[in-house]
Amino acid sequence: MSEYVVSINQRKYSIQLLGNNEIIVNSKKINVHVSKVSDYSFLFHLGNKVFEITTNKIDQNRFGLLIDGWYYDTIVRTTLQETVNELQQIKSKTKHHSDVKAPMPGLLLKLIKQIGDEVKLGEPILLLEAMKMENELRSPSSGRIKNIFYKEGQSVEKDSIILTIE
Amino acid sequence: MIKKILIANRGEIAHRIIKACRELNIISAAIYSEADKTALHVRRADEAFLIGPPPASDSYLNKEKIIKLAKEIGADAIHPGYGFLSENSEFIKMVEDSGLIFIGPSSTSAMMMGEKTSARRLMKENNVPIVPGTTEPIYTVNEGKKIAEEIGYPVMLKAAAGGGGKGMRKISSGDEFESSFSQARNESLKAFGSNEVYLEKFIENPKHIEVQIFADKYGNYVHLFERECSVQRRHQKVIEEAPSISVDDSTRNKITRAAVKAAKACNYFNAGTIEFLMDNDKNFYFLEMNTRLQVEHPVTEMITGLDIVKLQIKIASGEKLSIRQEDIKIHGHAVECRIYAEDVDNNFAPSTGKITHHRLTSGPGIRIDRGIDVMSEVPIYYDPMLAKVIAWGIDREEALARMKRALSEYQIGGVITNIPAFNWMLKQKSFLDGSFDINFLDKEFLPLLPGKWKDSSSEEYEEIAAVLGAILKEGELQTTISQNKVGHCNLWKGQNYE
Repeated sequence: MSEYVVSINQRKYSIQLLGNNEIIVNSKKINVHVSKVSDYSFLFHLGNKVFEITTNKIDQNRFGLLIDGWYYDTIVRTTLQETVNELQQIKSKTKHHSDVKAPMPGLLLKLIKQIGDEVKLGEPILLLEAMKMENELRSPSSGRIKNIFYKEGQSVEKDSIILTIE
Repeated sequence: MIKKILIANRGEIAHRIIKACRELNIISAAIYSEADKTALHVRRADEAFLIGPPPASDSYLNKEKIIKLAKEIGADAIHPGYGFLSENSEFIKMVEDSGLIFIGPSSTSAMMMGEKTSARRLMKENNVPIVPGTTEPIYTVNEGKKIAEEIGYPVMLKAAAGGGGKGMRKISSGDEFESSFSQARNESLKAFGSNEVYLEKFIENPKHIEVQIFADKYGNYVHLFERECSVQRRHQKVIEEAPSISVDDSTRNKITRAAVKAAKACNYFNAGTIEFLMDNDKNFYFLEMNTRLQVEHPVTEMITGLDIVKLQIKIASGEKLSIRQEDIKIHGHAVECRIYAEDVDNNFAPSTGKITHHRLTSGPGIRIDRGIDVMSEVPIYYDPMLAKVIAWGIDREEALARMKRALSEYQIGGVITNIPAFNWMLKQKSFLDGSFDINFLDKEFLPLLPGKWKDSSSEEYEEIAAVLGAILKEGELQTTISQNKVGHCNLWKGQNYE
């Protein structure tokens, strides 16, 4: 038997794979049969119901699943990984600075604020151009800009830290 | 006679034009940037030519290079698609001067309508109603602020050379003027090569209704009825329909006449679209004319049975309009959903990458116009639209039911798309009863982000997703173990979970 914690949309599911098609989802026992159609497609039988699921592996712990026009970003951890992850989250919450990450890949068009500037929550701090649109990023917290890791005109990857506020 | 067409575009529209060429036995020549080497339009064209590096300014917007190439390869005509150079009157003039045929209007018509302020003047002179505002561009913040106060906030700043929502800003008060003014000017400069902007009164809660017109080079004009395009986000259309649920026969009569009048005012020929804003009392105002093929042309094709792209090519080659107004009828109802590579719940962030899996939806009444296939790259350089799903039904109810069914079957893997969001849109009361306006998504959808728009059917699937996630992870771990143990036979790998 193996046990996993699956996070989707900020909800957590405890999944125990018992073998013999038996699975416990948050203490509810279900009978499931899964067959692989291709590397990107699975058939999922739940009792008499059948679902065709498109899968996309994002990394070892993360899968994008498309079911009947609905999309789920699932993060799967073993119970041990989950415990480690929770400890890390508590640690990062106690730190007093926040990172401004690129919500999309794009080009850093303009830094409205510079290192050392005071910023208020919600104040525009930079312009990011993606797919020909200018997007204004606003400050996630109030404080002073500590570091800026990119220059104007540079391209940034999604989720990369552009600057930090403390 | 046109024997070979250079298609100066990419994505689904280049693919759409290739299909028309094939049906007319015309050779299609695609151009592509270094980012589009294996793009679908390249795969489907008869001939394909590398035009330059990924940024559009070095490739799909390189006027001289495109015309030179067309001459070298012996093309007779250039089809510009939409976006890129399609409404650039300077480019059209260059094509005309080179002796090639431009599949679209004359450079003169495009210029008259392309410069939005002069178009507004022209419409005013021809008794086509316009939105109150300036008919001249604004150059300074002070000048703009003064006019804004005269016509009253809120106002809209718009790119004089523009369209498609770029270089456009709503301004609610004088405080916002300066930053919006410079943003709109910058965006406009980048998208259209001009930083001229003008002001319009902001019409509260209007609908976006547009009319497809068609004309030949001999002064014959027809309209192909209206399209409803009010479901928009940041001025980009998301759902389009034909006909509009809100346009009654008398309004239809008036708005289509106004559209033909607008087209005649600029001696238009080929396909064009007159966009209007329509208020609650069914008063309509000229917004702009799109002097090109529209993204949403398929819904009109579905209800009229006409092939707009083939008609464009025939008219460009000098044929007369073969259809008379009285022969064009509305048959049934059509809806189009634009599939964008974007993560709705993550502030609509564009999702780039490789398409790993792609299975089309099909069946009764369904048509897909697409720019992607398996192993296509979705690059950051261009528009994030992947495909359009179009559904036809004998009435709106059937068209919408088919659309919902089709979207649930459409499988795209490798990038995140906006398909789930349509599950919400297509069942909202205001969408179904027709009371929606251009603020529908801003007012009703955006407050539900992230995640709160998902309903109970989504929750059932979420549990299934969680289970499959765990099974896939188990498979990952097993694979790692089996790779470490030589000779170990893993019965699970690639097979069933028992």
